[in-house]
Amino acid sequence: MTVEVMIGRGRDAIDMIVDEGSFKENMVGDTPIPSDIGPGAVVGEAAIEGRDVVVIANDAQAVNERFPVVYFGVIGMEEAYKMAKTVYTMLHQDADKPIGEKRPLVLIVDTPGNGPGKQEEIFGMNKATGAYQLALAEARKAGHAIVALVIGRAISGAFLCHGLQADQILALSPEFSTMIHVMPITSISRITKIDIERLEELSVSNPVFAAGPQFFYRLGGVDELVENIEDMRPAIARHIAEVEDRKKAGLPTGPMYHGELGEERGGRMLRRKAIEAMEAEYAKVADQYV
Amino acid sequence: MADWKELEAKSFYEATARERAIGMVDEGTWTELAGPKDRLTSPHLPVLGEAVEFDDGVVTGVGLVGKHPVFVASQEGKFIGGAVGEVHGAKIVGAFLLANQVYDKIMAECPDEIEERRPAVVISFETGGVRLHESNAGLLAHAEFMDQIQGSKGKFPVFAVIGSKVGAFGGMGFVAAATDVIIMNTYGRLGLTGPEVIEQEMGKAEFDSADKALVYRTTGARHKYIMRDANYLVEDTIGAFHDCIGEVMDLGYAAIEKMRRIGNEELVDEQLALAELSVELHPKDSRDVWAYYGNENPEQLTEITTAEFLATAKRRP
Repeated sequence: MTVEVMIGRGRDAIDMIVDEGSFKENMVGDTPIPSDIGPGAVVGEAAIEGRDVVVIANDAQAVNERFPVVYFGVIGMEEAYKMAKTVYTMLHQDADKPIGEKRPLVLIVDTPGNGPGKQEEIFGMNKATGAYQLALAEARKAGHAIVALVIGRAISGAFLCHGLQADQILALSPEFSTMIHVMPITSISRITKIDIERLEELSVSNPVFAAGPQFFYRLGGVDELVENIEDMRPAIARHIAEVEDRKKAGLPTGPMYHGELGEERGGRMLRRKAIEAMEAEYAKVADQYV
Repeated sequence: MADWKELEAKSFYEATARERAIGMVDEGTWTELAGPKDRLTSPHLPVLGEAVEFDDGVVTGVGLVGKHPVFVASQEGKFIGGAVGEVHGAKIVGAFLLANQVYDKIMAECPDEIEERRPAVVISFETGGVRLHESNAGLLAHAEFMDQIQGSKGKFPVFAVIGSKVGAFGGMGFVAAATDVIIMNTYGRLGLTGPEVIEQEMGKAEFDSADKALVYRTTGARHKYIMRDANYLVEDTIGAFHDCIGEVMDLGYAAIEKMRRIGNEELVDEQLALAELSVELHPKDSRDVWAYYGNENPEQLTEITTAEFLATAKRRP
C-alpha cells in the first residue's frame, strides 16, 4: 500500500488521476472559463481512461490577492462562482446528450472552509456557496455522473459546497490524514462544554460527531474509502460507471441516497422514521388540503 | 397559546417556533406533523448527557394559504440554538417530500388548477446551522436540503422567512439563499460566517464582533433588502409574514421564479459581478455599499422605522 499525504496537493492529484497531459485548464469544451478569477479553484477538462471528464479541484497553494481570507484551499466568492460557471457550461453543452454520453464531473476535494471575511458577508458568501451547490444538484439531476474524491480536507460547509452534492463520494482512507469533520473534537468540547475525554471515548463507537472519513462512511456520507494512491483513478472510473448504471436504471444517487446508506450502515437510524411519521400523519388529513 | 388572531398580531421576533408555524397559515388550517406526541427525539443527545426536546427543535406541519397547501418547518432557537441534527433535518426534508407528493397529485388529477392550488414549502429559520452534538448527521442533512431545493424548481416555491433571535447562519445561511423568496422583518439576520469567526480571521480592527450595530449592518435585514438578498422586508408581526406569503403566491409561479438570486448561469454572472464590485469598492462597512447605491445618508437608514426605510431606501438596481 502506498501512503502519500495529499493535503494541499489538488493540482498533483489532477495529474495523478487523469490521463497524462490531458488536462486543459479553464476550458470546458470550446468555452473558456475566466482564468483571471478564483485562483483557489482549478477547473477544466481532461480525460480518464480515454473518456472526457470535467474536473473541479481546490488549489491550496494559490492565494487570492483580491480576497485576503482566501488561501490554503479556502473557497471564496470568486472560486465558488467560477466552479458554478464550470458546471453550468458543461450542463448546457451536454443538454441534448443522453445519460452515459454526458461528461462526468470529477470533484477533487481539499478545502478547509468558505471565505470567512467581512467583504464576503457584506456581498453574500452564502449565495456563492449556494450557487455552486445548486449547479451541482442540477447537473446531477440532469444525468451527469458526479464523483467526488476527498484527498485532504473536507471541512464542514466547504464539504457541503464542494463534495456533498455529488452522486457518489470517495475519500482517501484515514492513513492519508484525510480530514472530514464539522469541527475537531477539541472545538466541539469547548462549545458544547462536554468533557473532551468523554467525547474521545464516545467517538470510538459513535460516528455522529467524530472526525474522520471512516465515520462519514458509517453515516453514509462517504461511499467508499480508497486505500492506495494508485487506486484513485480506477476507483473514480468505476464509480462513474456505477453512477451511470444506477441513473439508467432509475436508482437513487446523491444526498437522499446517502441518507438511505446511512441507515443501512447503522449510522443514521431515525432519519427515515421521522420522514415516514410525517407521511403517515399527512395521509390521514390529506383530504383537507387538496 | 394565544388564539390565531392574537398570533397574527404578535411579534414574529418574540414568537416561539410553534406560534410562527401556526400563524404562517390560514386560521384553523394547521396540522402539526411528527409533533411532540410522536416523541421523535434525538438519539444522539442523551449519549452526551444532554436534554432532548420532543419535536427536536423544529415544528413541522401543513396548513392552507388560500387554496395552497403550505408545508412549514419552523426552527426553535431556544433549543440548542435551532441547530440541525438527524431528526430535525429529516423533518425538514419530510416537508419537501410531502410538497412533492402534493404537487404530483395535483398534476395527475387537476393540472389546470395547479396555479391556484400549487403547494409551497416555508422554512422559518432560527439557526446557526449544524448541531455540534451530532455534527456529521447535521451536515449530511444540509446536503439533502440543497438537493430538495433544486428538486423543487419548476414545481413549487420555497420561502425563507427570517426574523427570529438567532438569525440564519452557517449552512442554513446558504440553504436560505437557495430558496425562491426571502422574507425578513427588520430584526432578521442572514449570513454564513458568524461575527466571532470573522474577527478571528481579520482582527478586531477590521471587524469587532462586539460592535452589535456593525454586526447588524453586515448581516441584518435592511442590508439584505438593499442588496436584494431579501425580496421583502415586512413589519414584525406573524401576520405580516403570512400576508406576504399569500400575496406572493397570488403573483403566480412565473413571477416567483424571477425572485431568485442564484440558481442559473445568468444569476451567477450577476453575483460574480457583485463579487468584483466588492473588490473595487472594498467597503469598510455596509454603509459604503448603501451610499454607492445612491443612499445619501446611509447612517440614517438603521435609525428610522421599517415603513420609513421602505419609503426611502434605494436598492441595488
